[in-house]
Amino acid sequence: MEIRPIFSALMRNKTGLVLIALQVAITLAIVTNSLFIIKERIELMNRPSGIDEAGLFTVSSLPFAPGFDRAGSITQDLATLRAIPGVIDATPINNLPLSGGGWGEGMSTKPIDPNTSKPEDSKGTTIYMVDDHGVNTLGVNIVEGRNFNPDEITDRNERDNGWPQQVIITQALAKELFPDESAVGKRVFMSNDSTGSVVVGVLERLQAPWVNWNGVERATLVPQRVLWSSTRYLVRVKPAERDAMMKTVEAKLGEINTGRIVRGLRDYGEIRKSAYSRDNAMTVILISVIVGLLVITGLGIIGMASFWVTQRVKQIGTRRALGARKFDILRYFQVENFIITSIGLAAGILLSYGFNIWLMQVFDAERLAWYYVPIGAVCVWALGQLAVVGPATRAARVSPSVATRSV
Amino acid sequence: MLTMQHLSKVYRTHLIETHALRDFNLHVSEGEFVAVTGPSGSGKTTFLNLAGLLETHSSGTYLLDGVDVSKLDDNARSRLRNEKIGFIFQSFNLIPDLNLFDNVDVPLRYRKFPAAERKRRIEHALTRVGLGSRMRHYPSELSGGQQQRVAIARALAGEPRLLLADEPTGNLDSLMARGVMELMEEINAQGTTIIMVTHDPELAARAQRNVHIIDGQVTDLGDEPRLREPVAAVG
Ligand SMILES: Nc1ncnc2c1ncn2[C@@H]1O[C@H](COP(=O)(O)OP(=O)(O)O)[C@@H](O)[C@H]1O
Ligand SMILES: [Mg+2]
Repeated sequence: MEIRPIFSALMRNKTGLVLIALQVAITLAIVTNSLFIIKERIELMNRPSGIDEAGLFTVSSLPFAPGFDRAGSITQDLATLRAIPGVIDATPINNLPLSGGGWGEGMSTKPIDPNTSKPEDSKGTTIYMVDDHGVNTLGVNIVEGRNFNPDEITDRNERDNGWPQQVIITQALAKELFPDESAVGKRVFMSNDSTGSVVVGVLERLQAPWVNWNGVERATLVPQRVLWSSTRYLVRVKPAERDAMMKTVEAKLGEINTGRIVRGLRDYGEIRKSAYSRDNAMTVILISVIVGLLVITGLGIIGMASFWVTQRVKQIGTRRALGARKFDILRYFQVENFIITSIGLAAGILLSYGFNIWLMQVFDAERLAWYYVPIGAVCVWALGQLAVVGPATRAARVSPSVATRSV
Repeated sequence: MLTMQHLSKVYRTHLIETHALRDFNLHVSEGEFVAVTGPSGSGKTTFLNLAGLLETHSSGTYLLDGVDVSKLDDNARSRLRNEKIGFIFQSFNLIPDLNLFDNVDVPLRYRKFPAAERKRRIEHALTRVGLGSRMRHYPSELSGGQQQRVAIARALAGEPRLLLADEPTGNLDSLMARGVMELMEEINAQGTTIIMVTHDPELAARAQRNVHIIDGQVTDLGDEPRLREPVAAVG
């Protein structure tokens, strides 16, 4: 092929070459790293929460009447909710998975002494306070052990800080605490608790409220009804009926007790959306950056190639006069672009990994999967070849008579 | 070698039609050295472009080596130019970003000769025009006369049967012009047919035959065969 003479000629026109190659290099580095970050975000967003999101919604009760009977109201609300046709189950719950706000505790296999215990002795976990309907309402799977029994449910007032006798923990947490044995039947300890609680069941999966926490799958269910200033319920229905059921439930709760406000009606689609709103925004921004860069690079290549075609009209005519076919002229510009892009990509590959290392050091990013750079390189190559088609076609149409006509 | 009958070339723009050649008749035999003269705008370059397949004619017939070229497609015309015809231009038309070796290489690559064959031909052609020692130089490092010699080497390397030159000495001083002319006479002496457009009556007088074009037509007075002058010092 004619790579060698085209390369030699290019070496005598370094400015344009360097400009385009640099643009290609930067584009490759940013595109590959952005794609990788997007992929990671999408993977993050696609992690299952473990609960039946499609069938779940939440609603809260905020009492205002003086002397309001909190415990009685919860009992009445739950009985009413569970009796509504179409409601699969309902539970009181202190905090919600994916919601962003939750209760965190350290959990250990030995009693935690605030004076002598080191942080690494305990594992962080989120605490969900539910009743015996919690497991069924959330739609989580018990892989070992059992659910809470109705008689194990206790009330937790605002000033209480003790823990019940039983807990259900997730597999992820169980593995951290008991790496080599079953957690069921073992005793675990939380803060301010010297007696500890017995693990009665293990859940396959349940996410914490904080989606960006690296211990997001470490969650604990405790059998407690919270009698705080406001009560949150989680209601599970058939996914197809959810929208209608939300209205029904809201109306019904408002009806049976007028001493409180019914509010905070939200389905899980909404909760998930706000949990990942930053990741979503980041993805959109990065996609825009990628598209913008590719467009700019494509336009840069078109502009530079067009300029070169115009500049070399006489040379092209001369080549045609000397026997070049139209195809030879077309190929000249494609090959030239291929060389420039390749030089840019060679630098871009180094730059991509360099950029990644910097992101790893500064932003704690992951190591770029090896195949991103070659795939990105092939895309930028294709972009270059595509961008040069227009100018190259124009070049191929230059008449051989230009050789004698232009001065 | 070349026969043109009733050839015409019309340039059409949306405003005007220019009849650059009208009822143009010419026969050039194998081995001739023809000088084409005529006033500016008379159609000399147009004639050369048609002869060299750089443009297509509007009507009439043009037989190159017995082949009716109007039947050929663009690729076939490119190939004929590449294999049979050598071009020498007034402004040399060397590619500034290629050294002399690569410049001469341009038509040979389109001919798909193997590398060794190309190298042999390039070295031979450049040596023949006296520039064998400057193959790695760039055109800008040479004088005009030397550049035109490179262009001649480029035309010769493909061993064309027909050499077309449009005012090859137009941009050269008289000393350089004489050198280029001598080179062309030498090439003709070895059998290559040459058609050269020139303004210079002195150079035209050295050709075997003169064709005078006025207003797109060959005038009779110019088209008279002459005795070939003996060529001195063939090297
Ligand atoms: N591409 C073109 N379009 C329109 N007119 C042209 C074109 N090329 C040449 N002509 C016209 O054709 C005539 C002959 O031109 P040319 O063959 O270049 O003359 P010469 O080489 O004898 O000076 C001139 O009138 C010129 O203006
Ligand atoms: Mg002319």
